[in-house]
Amino acid sequence: MKPQVKVLIIAAAVVLMAGSLVAETLQQFDSVQGRSFHADLYADNACDSCHVNAEPEAYPPDFVCLDCHDSDELVQATARPEEDKWQNPHNNMHYAKDVPCMECHGEHSERKVLCAGCHFFDYPNFKK
Amino acid sequence: MGNDKEYQADRRKFLVSMGLAGAATIAAPALKTMAADSSTVWAEEHEIVIIGSGFSGLAAAIEAKKLGAKDVVVYDKMPYFGGNSTYNGGLFAVPNSPLQKEKGIKDSPEIMAADQLKAGRGVADKELLLHVAEHAGEALQMSLDAGSEYFPYLQQLGGHSVPRTYQTTVASGGGIIRPLVEQCRKIGVKLVTRAKFDTLIFDDDGKVIGAKMLMGHYFGRDQEGTPMNIKTKRGILVATGGFARNINLRQAQDPTLTEEVTSTNPPSATGEALLEMFKIGAIPVHMAYIQTGPWASPDEDGFGYVSNYSIYNFAHSISIYIKTGKRFMNEIADRKTRADAQLSCRDDNGDPLPPITITSYIHAKEHPTMKKVLKYGVGWKFETIEEVAARFNVPLEPLKAQIKEYNGYVKSGVDEQFGKPMEKAKGKFIEAPFVVVRNWPKVHYCQGGVKIDVQARVINSADWKPIPGLYAAGEVTGGVHGVSRLGSCSIPDCMVMGMTAARTIMKS
Repeated sequence: MKPQVKVLIIAAAVVLMAGSLVAETLQQFDSVQGRSFHADLYADNACDSCHVNAEPEAYPPDFVCLDCHDSDELVQATARPEEDKWQNPHNNMHYAKDVPCMECHGEHSERKVLCAGCHFFDYPNFKK
Repeated sequence: MGNDKEYQADRRKFLVSMGLAGAATIAAPALKTMAADSSTVWAEEHEIVIIGSGFSGLAAAIEAKKLGAKDVVVYDKMPYFGGNSTYNGGLFAVPNSPLQKEKGIKDSPEIMAADQLKAGRGVADKELLLHVAEHAGEALQMSLDAGSEYFPYLQQLGGHSVPRTYQTTVASGGGIIRPLVEQCRKIGVKLVTRAKFDTLIFDDDGKVIGAKMLMGHYFGRDQEGTPMNIKTKRGILVATGGFARNINLRQAQDPTLTEEVTSTNPPSATGEALLEMFKIGAIPVHMAYIQTGPWASPDEDGFGYVSNYSIYNFAHSISIYIKTGKRFMNEIADRKTRADAQLSCRDDNGDPLPPITITSYIHAKEHPTMKKVLKYGVGWKFETIEEVAARFNVPLEPLKAQIKEYNGYVKSGVDEQFGKPMEKAKGKFIEAPFVVVRNWPKVHYCQGGVKIDVQARVINSADWKPIPGLYAAGEVTGGVHGVSRLGSCSIPDCMVMGMTAARTIMKS
């Protein structure tokens, strides 16, 4: 019972391009915090969209986000200039494309990017 | 990613939260060294089991497949591959390399081992060093076959008597790890993340026949994972790296390495597989020899950019003690010599006063990391020496006199202050404009670990014989490098000993 997430992504992208999206996308849905761009998931109580085959207490599978988000598109969307090409978080110097999404992205809580452990990279579109 | 303290706190939380049901499984430590019996349930069986996906583990997997292994699995406790191997400068020392031949540089495994023995201060393992040096070219070739790219020139790192160091064009171990991971996928090596090694499993004859793994491990996030017994036909290679980020363990060896001393390693370098091997009888060697990198910077976390920048530039730069405006070390001495000298740079209260390293802009810009250093504000460009002195509060006249004196050594080829080898500084005078970074040592490498023989077999303290079925390679092993490991000598060590382990396992 997956909602039409693709539509949502496009909507979010449009908002993003319009520059009207504020940095804060974490909001309260009833009892749980979540991302505003995933509002439909919360409206439908669709925990199992990410927490596949498990109660929501368990972490979702590592690359479940890619069921809706296209990996190659993500790589393209975050491409850096040639001299910094390996700073692309979705295809990076140390791990290529092998970093699970939630090592940097928190659906229910703030996270910081993995590379911030050593580097001062600026990812202006990253939503904590 | 959590830091060590969070990790340890999380683990305690986990133990507490396990409650009664969990207590039964947690009671296992009394039986940590497990002997298999008829009740042992095996979740999976693999021909070769490799723990750790750094240089050693991946090289072993590729070599084993090459030698005909059908079923090789590599486990990593982290959610991605490479461990500390993907967090470094990608510097690779090889004697008698193609580039040395091209440039007419005379070298040999014996000369390289002699340089390493000198830095090892008499306690390095000559047999292992020679073995690694003799096979380093094969390891380089393995990385090239997988698609690694290297700069077309060699560097001469601290303590090396000749230029013999390759560096990946991305100036990171990632330039080797990524291709090796891809190669593993291509040839059918099974790669599994979030799989944390827990204990070894033995048969009645004391042979290692499997391992208990914790699957679905979430490092630093309160989830140890589900226990699963993995059986192996040929053996287990432990290639889990060092323990630079286990503050309790490293401080127990060297009390000066408090939590104030940071590390270039990822938070996962915590050494629990090493401790498990000690528990079952492996011999600890040189655990207190923990290396700090003298090229690191207090202005960024981890390995960062300054490390690579300094490694390349030290040969034609001067390091200056802020208080005196004078040099205080041979900028390309071995790592321990330099780190000790830097740690003695203090202010009047005894607090750290990180020294500055000054390089002529025209020489610094030869290496791609300079751009990053300037871009991310961890190094700075100055048009005049007066600006440098003002910015870092260095007495100007002594600094000017020091530069003049040093430039005399560049001209004469003899460093009368600290005996620095000046070949690589030839013609490279310290002249404006300048690039300046600050340096302060960070924990970088653990020379200590388990004792292995030259076939990568783990030696048993009970009978001084190899523990059947158990192999180790890379930083988790001890004694190879002695007191101080020379830069760019870990990658050949890790890869060659991984390949060696695969060769031994396939003969067994």
